[in-house]
Amino acid sequence: MSLRRRIVAGAGLCTAVLLVTACGGSNGATVQGAKLVRQGQLTTCTHLPYPPFQSTQSGKVVGFDVDMIDLVAKKLGVTQKIVDTSFETIKGGAALNAGKCDVAAAGMTIKPERAKFLDFTKPYFNATQALMSRKDGGVTSLDDVKAKKLKIGSQGSTTGEDYVRAKGLNPQSFDNSAAELDGLRTGQVDVIVQDYPVVQGWLKDPANVKFAIAANLNTGEQYGFAVKKGGNAKLLQMINQAITQAEQDGTYKAIYEKWIGACQNCVPS
Amino acid sequence: MSVSETTTGAPPRRGLTRRQRHRFVLGGEYVVFLAVVLAVVLLADWDTVRQNLANWDVAKQLFPDIITVGLRNTVLYTLLAYAFGLVVGVIVAMMRLSSVLPYRWFAMLFVEIFRGLPALLIIIFVGFGIPFAFSIEIPGGVVGQITLALGMVAAGYMAETVRAGIEAVPRGQMEAARSLGMSYGRAMRSIVIPQAFRIIIPPLTNELILLFKDSSLVLFLAVTLEQRELTKFGRDLTGQVGNTTPIVVAGLCYLLITIPLGYLVRRLEARQRRGQR
Repeated sequence: MSLRRRIVAGAGLCTAVLLVTACGGSNGATVQGAKLVRQGQLTTCTHLPYPPFQSTQSGKVVGFDVDMIDLVAKKLGVTQKIVDTSFETIKGGAALNAGKCDVAAAGMTIKPERAKFLDFTKPYFNATQALMSRKDGGVTSLDDVKAKKLKIGSQGSTTGEDYVRAKGLNPQSFDNSAAELDGLRTGQVDVIVQDYPVVQGWLKDPANVKFAIAANLNTGEQYGFAVKKGGNAKLLQMINQAITQAEQDGTYKAIYEKWIGACQNCVPS
Repeated sequence: MSVSETTTGAPPRRGLTRRQRHRFVLGGEYVVFLAVVLAVVLLADWDTVRQNLANWDVAKQLFPDIITVGLRNTVLYTLLAYAFGLVVGVIVAMMRLSSVLPYRWFAMLFVEIFRGLPALLIIIFVGFGIPFAFSIEIPGGVVGQITLALGMVAAGYMAETVRAGIEAVPRGQMEAARSLGMSYGRAMRSIVIPQAFRIIIPPLTNELILLFKDSSLVLFLAVTLEQRELTKFGRDLTGQVGNTTPIVVAGLCYLLITIPLGYLVRRLEARQRRGQR
């Protein structure tokens, strides 16, 4: 009996350990020195939807960032796989640290406080913030918003939100860009702050014909991709190479024109 | 080792007696449990846990705002939605028990919809769907929206609880009240419903706990800094400090309320059991 008991105990222990290790264990791989969390895949974290950088079209995630990271995936000889997670876990590094993905590509501005938790690539996009409101809204600046006591909406944890807060406004914080746009359309807020290219993309949609860019907030931001802090130098290097190469051989311009519009000094470096 | 052999206790038996088998199974359960605990303890990267999940320096800077803003709003939203839900729930329960057929249909439809849909969908619908469809603004802004949305979810559940409570009050109570000359409404209000509520206080308290947790879904509406409840607060801070500790602290704040409430439910249930016997 004691033998059987020991066998059962042993088996139980093994199963438990196996279970736990199977969950925590990685089936990652190293390709050309770059560490990948999933074999054969370059896993990208993003927060959907964020057109034109990434959004879902007929069941696939497409956009500017997607095309850029595809260049890296191609270099690595793997396919890009995109996972959707909340933005604060991306900018705070939790998504990368938890091994949810290899690279964060989420139209994310390079900020010193974010660089504490992430390793940013070189800038791949010049961006500014814009205010969007009804055409007849009579708003031309942030001061107007303040003076007229208008309700302003922002997307949670973004630089736009930080920017208007720093200007003394108290925006209503939406969970994602689509909800923010809906907030404007439903009149929950009178004006929203969002990255310029995103607003530009929205305004191409006939559904938003009543709205326009009310003001440009020249924040001089630059987007970067990011990898795990101190964890994937080789991948970082390869992404930087891919960006440089794309800028030089015209691929960048082509992607820019495909998703954003005419390229006037669009190359960030 | 068939059962008959072991229970009759024939001397040349093989296998285990029932008692031995029981001990054997129990021992196995302990071993598996210990093994899992051990595996978790050994496999966790405790330095990372301390750094990322239980970082005291990060936790300190959450206070007092996580209480004065986060917890305060969580409690506020929950109580408002609960009060709204209780009123609507009682009304729907009365309609469900009404002799007017369309009332009963409506009540059933109401319960099926608001009990059957995820709370998140209802919140998004109230937040974005209703303003779109009717171009009206729900009074009270976010607070009004969450009271309405979560209140309807709560009402769906509470209507059924209240109905069950009313039906659990013996018929004789109503009959006795009517025979004393009370009107139906008066008898319901002053005789049946008070007794029904006594019965359903534990499930209603449970509903309060559920609602308390569901209030986290407010973050899908647009909230300003001072409207943030615990979950949104924790999430925002997590992004700002690059550390998961705020989520853990927010979780502890929920337990601060839900554990005493759970204790209260057990006490109430125990009291009720004593009262019945």
